[in-house]
Amino acid sequence: MSEATCVRCESPLEAGDLRCAVCGDVPEQSGPQVVSEGLEQTVLRCGQCGAATRYDARSESLRCSFCSGELKSEELTDPVEQTEAYLPFTVDREDARAALGTWLGNMGFFRPSDLKSAARIEDLRPLWWAGWVFDAHALVSWTADSNAGAHRSAWAPHAGQADLVFDDVLISASRGLTDEEAYTLSPSYSLDGAVPDLETPPDEAILEAFDVQRSQARARITDGIRKAAAARLQDGHIPGSRYRNVHVRALLTGLDTRRMAFPAWVMAYRYEHKLFRVVISGQDAGVLMGKAPFSWAKIAMIVAAFVLVGALVVALSVLA
Amino acid sequence: MTASAPHSPALEISCTTCGAQVVVEEDLRTAECPYCASPHVVERPPQAGRPDPVFVLAFTLDRVAATTIAQAWIKSRGPFVQSGLKQGVLERTRGVYLPSYLYGARAQASYTAKIGENYTVTVTYTTTDSKGRTVTRTRTETRTEWRDLAGRYERYETDTLVTASKGIGNAELESVEPFDLRALRRYSPDLLAGWIAEEPSLAEDECRRAAQSEMRETIERDLKAFMPGDSSANIRSDVTFSDEVAHLVLLPVWVFALRHSADKPPIRIVINGQNGRVGGRLPFSWAKIGGTVLVTLLVLAAIIAVGVLS
Repeated sequence: MSEATCVRCESPLEAGDLRCAVCGDVPEQSGPQVVSEGLEQTVLRCGQCGAATRYDARSESLRCSFCSGELKSEELTDPVEQTEAYLPFTVDREDARAALGTWLGNMGFFRPSDLKSAARIEDLRPLWWAGWVFDAHALVSWTADSNAGAHRSAWAPHAGQADLVFDDVLISASRGLTDEEAYTLSPSYSLDGAVPDLETPPDEAILEAFDVQRSQARARITDGIRKAAAARLQDGHIPGSRYRNVHVRALLTGLDTRRMAFPAWVMAYRYEHKLFRVVISGQDAGVLMGKAPFSWAKIAMIVAAFVLVGALVVALSVLA
Repeated sequence: MTASAPHSPALEISCTTCGAQVVVEEDLRTAECPYCASPHVVERPPQAGRPDPVFVLAFTLDRVAATTIAQAWIKSRGPFVQSGLKQGVLERTRGVYLPSYLYGARAQASYTAKIGENYTVTVTYTTTDSKGRTVTRTRTETRTEWRDLAGRYERYETDTLVTASKGIGNAELESVEPFDLRALRRYSPDLLAGWIAEEPSLAEDECRRAAQSEMRETIERDLKAFMPGDSSANIRSDVTFSDEVAHLVLLPVWVFALRHSADKPPIRIVINGQNGRVGGRLPFSWAKIGGTVLVTLLVLAAIIAVGVLS
């Protein structure tokens, strides 16, 4: 985890950070620093032939002008994110299968009657999806329109500032799950049970890798913080009961981000030649999200019934 | 009159490869031995007002690639540039590490604004229909109600770049921005070897003022986007900065001199050494523009005359 903290905004700094991700300040260089007295002259020598070397733009490395021998100068400073902790599976294959059955059986009137019996599970796979969990303190400046204090227009403008504390807010880094799926599953996870290593992976569970670089990750996290702040503000900070145009700017302090892997069962079932996907939380079989077919015959029947009733009413009123 | 950073005097060092005397020109960090072409980077002792670089953004475009981009850019200019420019010769191609300050600050603003909230009303009006009768009709109109809004705004503003060199001004730097700051590296003399690196020649105070005005513009633009309502007007803001940080960063730029005629000074073209963005403008020829306008008018007059006569 992180060791150093930014002196300006108290956000933890990570290894390889040249600047603070939140406020742009530059941490003091760690390790002993050589203070040069007087004039210092630097000449770079090629390891192969001993000649002076120069920096070459094409290879982004040190290249000798005489023998083209190469020297590595520095690693790239934008590393790819790595998973730090895993949440264990507490829902096993049978639980997931049963949860799907229950869900298919309780879909309501407009679904096909034989949905539960005719649906065939084609694929049921455990996987860990990637996400960030952050803690932060934010001074949030906001503006919004709400119905409070409205005159002729239905909307009136409001503005304010609020101190918000965020604990364990989850932001999806997954490419496999949609944002909506990740958002639905988020409340089902218990972050206390996170472990740094995989102990007993269930049968061939797939680990989704973080495939974003750190700088892009921060852009997504900042975006997530704005969304989280906007949601929180509508809960008591902005007057009124209806809102639009909620704008948020946040001044963050102590932003701490953890990269975690979240367990889920992803399954595909087939009903009448069509495939549907369902995602079930790996820690609570009751939390799932998926798609299911509608019964067009039932819907058409209801519509026809309404039309008939309507026609009857009209006919009666004409006759009367 | 621009304020200057403390002067960096010319230095004489002896080449560690061949022993010859090498002169490092004033306000430069690098030199090449005239006898054996060995590159040298000097570290002058730090002085108040002339800080050491903290970051370097390395060149990713080499000389050949930059020259190709410059030539293609000159060719692609419109037909109205002064004649001879497109046949001009690119001279004195130099890869320069331009000293500039990377600014960041905590921005606080208090603002007032007029916020427009739309509403619709149903208006009754009388008109005459196709048969000449007077009829009464209704239509809905959208109107705007203006409300006052005042508030505070606070955030960190980072990544503002301003030049620290008298050679290349802020306008010219902006014309080749943005630089991808994700590729920042901690300053190391290795990266400068073989290139020209300048010492900052503008005073820190002046750079700070330039950075603040650039940051203020950014904040004012953002405030406009921050306003609620269907429209906004009269946004007045009072922006202050605190917790400012400034770090000297060396930016990679290719500088070309385009010589196009013997009696005129060459035109400078600057290219972003990271992504190849070209800054600058080639001067237009007023004679060409005037000629074209004249010809167009003549043709038009001829067409009208023909139309009238026939």
